[in-house]
Amino acid sequence: MRRYARNGLWLLLLSCFSFVACAQTDSSTILFQKLRARLDKVNDYVADVRIRIDVSFMKVPPLAGKLYFKAPDKMKLERNGGVSILPKKNINLTLNSMFPVGDAIVIDAGTDVVNSRAVKVIKVIPQGESDIVLTKIWVDEERNLALRTETTTRDNGTVKMDLAFGAHIAQGLPDKVIVYLDVKEYKLPKGVTMDYDANAQMKADDKGNGKNKKGKIEISYLNYEVNKGLPDNIFAEKD
Amino acid sequence: MLRLELHKIFRRPRTYISFLIMTAVTFLIQLAMYVDGSSFVSFAMQGVGEQFAISGNILNGYLVTYLVLQSLLIHIPLLVALVAGDVLAGEANAGTMRLLLTKPVSRGGVVLVKYIASVAYAMLLLVWLAVVGLGLSVLIFGTGDLINLKSDAFVMLLEHDIMWRYMLAFAFAALAMSTVAALAVFLSVFADNSIGPIIGTMGVIVVLTIFSNLEIPLFNTIKPYLFTTHMIAWKGFFDAPVPYDAIITSVLVLVGYIALFLAATIVIFKRKDIQS
Repeated sequence: MRRYARNGLWLLLLSCFSFVACAQTDSSTILFQKLRARLDKVNDYVADVRIRIDVSFMKVPPLAGKLYFKAPDKMKLERNGGVSILPKKNINLTLNSMFPVGDAIVIDAGTDVVNSRAVKVIKVIPQGESDIVLTKIWVDEERNLALRTETTTRDNGTVKMDLAFGAHIAQGLPDKVIVYLDVKEYKLPKGVTMDYDANAQMKADDKGNGKNKKGKIEISYLNYEVNKGLPDNIFAEKD
Repeated sequence: MLRLELHKIFRRPRTYISFLIMTAVTFLIQLAMYVDGSSFVSFAMQGVGEQFAISGNILNGYLVTYLVLQSLLIHIPLLVALVAGDVLAGEANAGTMRLLLTKPVSRGGVVLVKYIASVAYAMLLLVWLAVVGLGLSVLIFGTGDLINLKSDAFVMLLEHDIMWRYMLAFAFAALAMSTVAALAVFLSVFADNSIGPIIGTMGVIVVLTIFSNLEIPLFNTIKPYLFTTHMIAWKGFFDAPVPYDAIITSVLVLVGYIALFLAATIVIFKRKDIQS
């Protein structure tokens, strides 16, 4: 009799744990779906941007231009005839590209604090064919905003993104995005480039920077024009 | 006397051969870039292109000019030597040196005037390079941001921030060519035939350029003292930030070499027994 009572208790406890786990998963899934739904409201936008590229081997001045985005993953930086530089392939600078589309498993990963705000952390694993393996999202539940993402892709390593919201918070669009990405070392033969390197001090500095293989791209959005309907040919490569 | 020396230089057909060679090489580079520049850009950018999508008018006049300068500033010293190596040796060869020295000018003055005439010729070569290299390239390919690929860095300069760099680069190239002219005049004082100084100058520049560019620790100690190491300091103007300290050092080294070559030439020329 006592054995039956003990087994029954275990069964009850197990059920309770399963229920709590299910409830947590459900709330995380709902949180993710709410977030995704908010992003899905933005079909396209054009924004004036300022971009700062901080990569050890790149010496690029701050770039100003127009950033065009069209869901789900089209993006283009236009600089009035100037040269534009953006991270390649799926690592682009929009939040949409960091969120898996289609079915996904959402797991509660606890809580954290981002910029003095308490946030809920969720992990999203896409179910279908996707370059994204896993996305970790720090969600401000109160405002239904992602303040940080960490996306692991199959081909492009891990990309972290910090987002700051301000003037365009109503549309869920960030004022500033900082993308942290892994970059490979860059090297060309000196016999080809024939470098001028009489400055020993600069060489020493460069050596120090060369060890840093982390890159950072800071993009400030000055204004947005949302859902005006962008034609696809804007994103076509011009020769 | 300077006018006379300039007249001597510019009445020779060989003087204009240099301008023709430079024009031909520049045209060839521009033609190659016009026809197949996109392949060149893709090849050059592949290290960065794997990680970043770079688009826009990369193949513009400023990039083509940089490539022209890069290839021609190795060859221009040879063209400068063609004339500067002849200024003293040519007189000896023609048997006009004694006649020249009957003029009321000191021997040191003769050397300086001949050097200044050689430098004037080198300046004209560079002006011509600016016209066909920079002017024509901008006309054909347009303007845009300049991408400068170094061995360990990708440097991008904005369009409005480039022209002053080219002006300073050409000014620096003038100093570098003046050093070559001083070397050629120096070697010219030893010979009674212009072939020796011309080939001698070319030989010195080729050998020292190899020393300057070889990445072998043994040569690293002598590299900072070779004028060929400092002749490419014009590239510093296309870096960000511009390494002004290093460029000033290079300027001082080149000025030092010019002074050394000219002083040695004057001393030797003053003691020389002129027989022709």
